[in-house]
Amino acid sequence: MRGPFAEWIGRVKSFFADRLGLEDLQKLADKKRVPIHRTSLFYFLGGMALFLFGIQVVTGVLLSLYYKPSPDQAFESVRAIMTEVEYGWLIRSVHSWSANLLIGVLALHLLTTYVMRAYRKPREFTWLTGVLLLAMFMAFGFSGYLLPWNQLAFFATKVGTAIVGAVPLVGKHFLLLARSGENVTGDTLARFYSLHVVILPLATFAVLGVHLYLVQKHGMSIPQGVVERFGGEDKVPSMPFVPHFLLRDMVGWYVALGLLAALAALFPWELGEKATPLGAPPPGIQPEWYFLFMFETLKQLPGRFFGFGWLEGEVVGVLFFGVCWLVVLLVPFLDPRAVQGHPRRLLNWLATWAVFAFILQTASGLGAIRLKLLASSLVQLGLLDPDPTILDSYRWLALVEAALWSAAATIAFRFGVRKWTVRESMQ
Amino acid sequence: MLLAAMPGGSAAGEKAAPKDAAAQAPGAAAAKAEKPAAEKPAAAKAEKPAAKTPAGPAPRVPDDKNQCITCHSSPDFAELQAELEKEGKKDRLRLAVITSALAADVHWQKGLRCQDCHGGDPTAEDFAPAHTGHGGLRSLKHADIPAFCGECHADTDYMRRYLPSPRTDQLAEYWTSGHGQKLKASGDDTAVATCISCHDKPHGSGLKPQPHGIRAVADLESPVYRTRLADTCAKCHSDEKLMKDRTYHNRPLGHHQNESWRQSVHGKALLEKGDLSAPTCNHCHGNHGALPPQVDSVANACGTCHGRAAKLFADTKMKHGFEQSKLPGCVTCHATRVDAGPPDSHLIRVPTDELLGMEQGAVCNECHNEQQPKHGVAGAKEAKALREGLDDLKAGIDYAREILDEADHLGMEVSKPRFDLRKATDALTNARVQIHSFDPVPVQKILDEGQGVLSDVQAAADKALREHDARRVWLGLTLVPILVVVVVLVLYIRTLPVAKPVST
Amino acid sequence: MAEVPESLARRTWLLTGLQASIGATVVAIFYPVIRFLWPRPATRSGAMEVVATFRVNELKADGEQWPARFTLDFDGKPCTVIRTPGGEIKAFNAVCTHTDCTVEYRPDKGDIFCNCHNGLYDLNGRNVSGPPPRPLELYKVTLRKQKETDPPGQEEIVISRSA
Repeated sequence: MRGPFAEWIGRVKSFFADRLGLEDLQKLADKKRVPIHRTSLFYFLGGMALFLFGIQVVTGVLLSLYYKPSPDQAFESVRAIMTEVEYGWLIRSVHSWSANLLIGVLALHLLTTYVMRAYRKPREFTWLTGVLLLAMFMAFGFSGYLLPWNQLAFFATKVGTAIVGAVPLVGKHFLLLARSGENVTGDTLARFYSLHVVILPLATFAVLGVHLYLVQKHGMSIPQGVVERFGGEDKVPSMPFVPHFLLRDMVGWYVALGLLAALAALFPWELGEKATPLGAPPPGIQPEWYFLFMFETLKQLPGRFFGFGWLEGEVVGVLFFGVCWLVVLLVPFLDPRAVQGHPRRLLNWLATWAVFAFILQTASGLGAIRLKLLASSLVQLGLLDPDPTILDSYRWLALVEAALWSAAATIAFRFGVRKWTVRESMQ
Repeated sequence: MLLAAMPGGSAAGEKAAPKDAAAQAPGAAAAKAEKPAAEKPAAAKAEKPAAKTPAGPAPRVPDDKNQCITCHSSPDFAELQAELEKEGKKDRLRLAVITSALAADVHWQKGLRCQDCHGGDPTAEDFAPAHTGHGGLRSLKHADIPAFCGECHADTDYMRRYLPSPRTDQLAEYWTSGHGQKLKASGDDTAVATCISCHDKPHGSGLKPQPHGIRAVADLESPVYRTRLADTCAKCHSDEKLMKDRTYHNRPLGHHQNESWRQSVHGKALLEKGDLSAPTCNHCHGNHGALPPQVDSVANACGTCHGRAAKLFADTKMKHGFEQSKLPGCVTCHATRVDAGPPDSHLIRVPTDELLGMEQGAVCNECHNEQQPKHGVAGAKEAKALREGLDDLKAGIDYAREILDEADHLGMEVSKPRFDLRKATDALTNARVQIHSFDPVPVQKILDEGQGVLSDVQAAADKALREHDARRVWLGLTLVPILVVVVVLVLYIRTLPVAKPVST
Repeated sequence: MAEVPESLARRTWLLTGLQASIGATVVAIFYPVIRFLWPRPATRSGAMEVVATFRVNELKADGEQWPARFTLDFDGKPCTVIRTPGGEIKAFNAVCTHTDCTVEYRPDKGDIFCNCHNGLYDLNGRNVSGPPPRPLELYKVTLRKQKETDPPGQEEIVISRSA
C-alpha cells in the first residue's frame, strides 16, 4: 500500500515513534502469537470482556455528566437522561445491557479457563487476579444497581445488604459499612456512587493491569493435550496477534456493538418508580440475575435447621457461598498436578454440578422453572401436609430438588456426553 | 350506700319506708315534686339563683359532703344490684346513679352537681329536707326538658361564664323545629325528640346504666358527632313503629331516610371516604331547628356547598317552572327514583353524564317528552346534543390519556401534554356545572375549549410516539455500517496468510 | 485462501473499504455522543425551579381571569402566580385539597376560591372555610432582574420549593 496518503501516514507514525519509543511496543505486539487449536475460540472471551468493560467506562463517564447522586435528584436525573438528554436513552440502556453482557462473558471466561486448565503453573496469579476481578465486577453491578434510586433498586439493595449482615461475627459490621448506617439512605447512595465511580474503577484498573501484564508475560495458555500432541509449545501452530487475531477480535466487538445498539433501541432499560423508602417493598423484589442463584438458595434454606436450632439458615447459606468462592479462588492450588496432566476428577464433578445448579437456581429465581416436583410428590404420597404454611417450612425441598436435578444432569453430562467434551485437551 | 339499704333503720329509714313506697312508681321522685312542679314557672324562677353554680369549676358542696351522691350513687353497680335483689327491691335501681357515668358528662366536668339540675338540698342528711329544700325537686318530665335545658343554655349572661361567645338560640330554634312544634302541640308525646334524645342523658340509672353523659358536639364520642349524627337521628327516624302515622304537611314521614342517605354520594363520602365536609342530616335540615327544607328552599340547601350550580340554576326558566309545578329544585333530577315513584331526596346519586340527554336513565325526557307537550320537546333535543358533546370530550380525554401512557411507557417525555390535559379535565368539570344554566351556548363554548386543548395534547403525544419510531430508524441506520464492517472484516481476514494447523 | 498476487490487490481494496466503514461506524458512534454531551435547556425534570413566561408587571386581572393565564407547570402540578392586593407576588399549588379541582384567585375579594364545593382559602393558602381539609402548598417566589438596568416591574418570576 504505497501512495501519497500512505506515505503521509508513515511520516506521522515515525514522528511519534521517534519520540515515544513506540518501537518497543511494536516489538512486543509483533511477538505475541495466539495458538490455534480446537478450543481457540475460547481465547476471544477475555478480549470481549475487555471491550465490554471499555464500553462501560465510556458510557459510565458520559452518564456521570448528568447523573445527580442524591435521593431527591437521582431518579429525576436518570429520568432526564432517558427522556430529555439527546441520545441519553441510548447511553443509559447500553450501559445497563452491557453490564449484564459483561457478567455473562466473564462467567464464560471463568468456565473456559477452568476447562482449559489455564491456571496451571506459572499462571496461578492470573487466575487469582481474574477471580478477584469477577468479584469486583459483581460489586460494580451491585453498586450501580442502586444508583437510579427506584423501588426495585432500593429494596433489592436493602435485601442484598441485609444478607451480608448474616455473616457471623463480622456481618453486622459489614452491613454498617456497606449501608453507611443502619438503613439504606442517601448516605448509602453516596457511598455506592463513590464505590461505583471511583473506588472500584481504580481498583479494577490496578488489578486488571496486573492481570493483563501476566497474560502478556506468560503468553496464551495452551491446553496440555494440545502441547503433547504437537510435541512442545513452540510447535503448536499459531497466528500473530496483530493483525490476525485482533481483526477477529474486532469482528466480535462489532457484533457486540450492533447487539447493544439493538438491545438499547428495542428493549430500553426501564425507569421504574421513584423509591419510597418508608413504604412497603413491591412484591417480587429480587437482585440482578447474576445474584439470583445465591438469592434463591438463601430463600430456600429453612430459617432454622431441624435438630440444630441454633443454626440460622441464612448464616449457613452465606457461609456456604463463602466457601464456594474460596474454592473457586484456590482452584490452581487444589489442582496442583495439572501441569503433569493428571485428571482432576473430583473438581470436574464439582464444577459440572455447580454449573448445573447455577443454571437451575437462576432459572428458578427468574420464574422460568418451578422446583415443586419433590414437594408435590411427597404431598401426593401423603407424607407431607398440603397446608401452605406447613409447606413453606419445607421449602428447602426445592433446594434438595435443585441439587438432585443438578446431580442427575452432571451424571448424564459426564458419562453420556463424554465424547463431546473437550476431554482431549483437558486429559 | 343506697336509700333502701340504709342501715340502722334510723329516723330517716323509717320515714323513708312509706315515702319509698310512693317513690316506687316511675317518675315518683318527680311526682313528689309534682306540687312544686305545678308552680314550676314561679318556683323555677325562684330557683334560678340557687340552681346554678357561680363561675368556676369547684362545686359548691364538696362531693364527699354531697348527700345526693352519698345516697343515690353506688360505685359498684354489681354489689348494689345484688343487695337490692336480696331485699326484693329491684326496681329501686331506677333511683341509683352510677357516678362513673357522670365523669364523661360535660356539665359534671364544669362543676354542676345533682342539685343544680334536680333541685333539693345536698347538705341535708334526712330524706325530707333533702328533697324539699331549696325549692324542692324539679319536674324533669319529657316535655319539660327543652325549657329546662334552655334555662341555662338560652341565658347569655349565664353561659358567658363558661364560654366567651356562647350560642344561646338553640331553644328558640327548637320550638320552630318539627320536634318542637309536635311537642308543643301534643304536650306528652314521649317519642318526640328533645335535647337529651340527641345529646344524650347526663347519666343512666341503675335500671339502664348506659354511662354516656352529655358530651360536647366536637367530642368524637358524642352522638351528634359528624360521623355519628345520622345514626342518632335514625334511632327514631328509621324505626317503622315510631314513624307510623306521623306526617309533616300531610306527607308521611316514612323511615327510609337513613338507609337512603347511606347509599347516596354524600353518605358514601362521609362514611367511606372520611370526607368530614360531606353533608349529613343537620346540614340540610338544620340542627335544633330541624325541619325538611321546603320546595323553594331545597335548591338553597344544596347551594350552600354547590354554590355555582345553584346560582346558575336560580337564573333559569326551569327554576320558575319547577316552583310552579311544586317540584323541589335539585333533587328532581339528582335524586334516585325508586321503582318509578317520586324521587328519593335522600338518595342523591353520584351525578354522571347519563343524567343528561334522552336515553334510558336520563332525567330530561321524564318531562320533556311527546306525552307532555306543554314542556316542549325542543329542550330535550338540546339536552341530547349537550350530552353528546360531553361524551365526546370525555372520550377524547380518555384516549389522550391512553396514548400518553403508551408514550410514557416507551420512555418518551410527555409531562407537558399531561399537564395540559388537566385543562381539558377542568373544562369537562366546568361544562358539567354549566349544564345547570340549561343554556347550550356557554356549555358549548367550554366544550370547544376542552376540545382545543385535547387536539394540542394529542398532537404532542403523536410527536412523542413518532420520536420513538425515529429511534428505530436510527438503529437501522447504525446497524448498516456495523454490518458492513463485520462483512468486510471477515472478507479481509480470509485474505490474510495464516499458518495452517498441522492436521492430526 | 489462495496465495496469489491477485489476493494482494483484493486485500488492499478490502483494507481501504475496511478503514472507510470503520470510519463510518466511528462517526455513527461519535454523533450521538456529541449530541449527548451538549447541554440542553433545563426542563421540568430535575428542575428545582421554574421561570414563569410572564413578567411581574403582566400580573393583573384584566379580562382573562386566574387561573388560566397565570398558571404554569411546577413539578407536574398546576401552580398559580398571583399579585395580592398588598402588592406581594405569591405562588401556590392550584389543586384544591378537597377533591382536586383547580382553584382560582379572586382579586376583588382577596381570596382563593374553589368552584366545586365553595371551598375558600386565604392568600396564605390556609383553608378558611368550606370542605378543604388542608391548606394549599405555597411555593417560594424570587424576583430576578434580567439586567441591572431594567426598570422595576420587568423582573422574572422564579418559582422554587420553599425548603
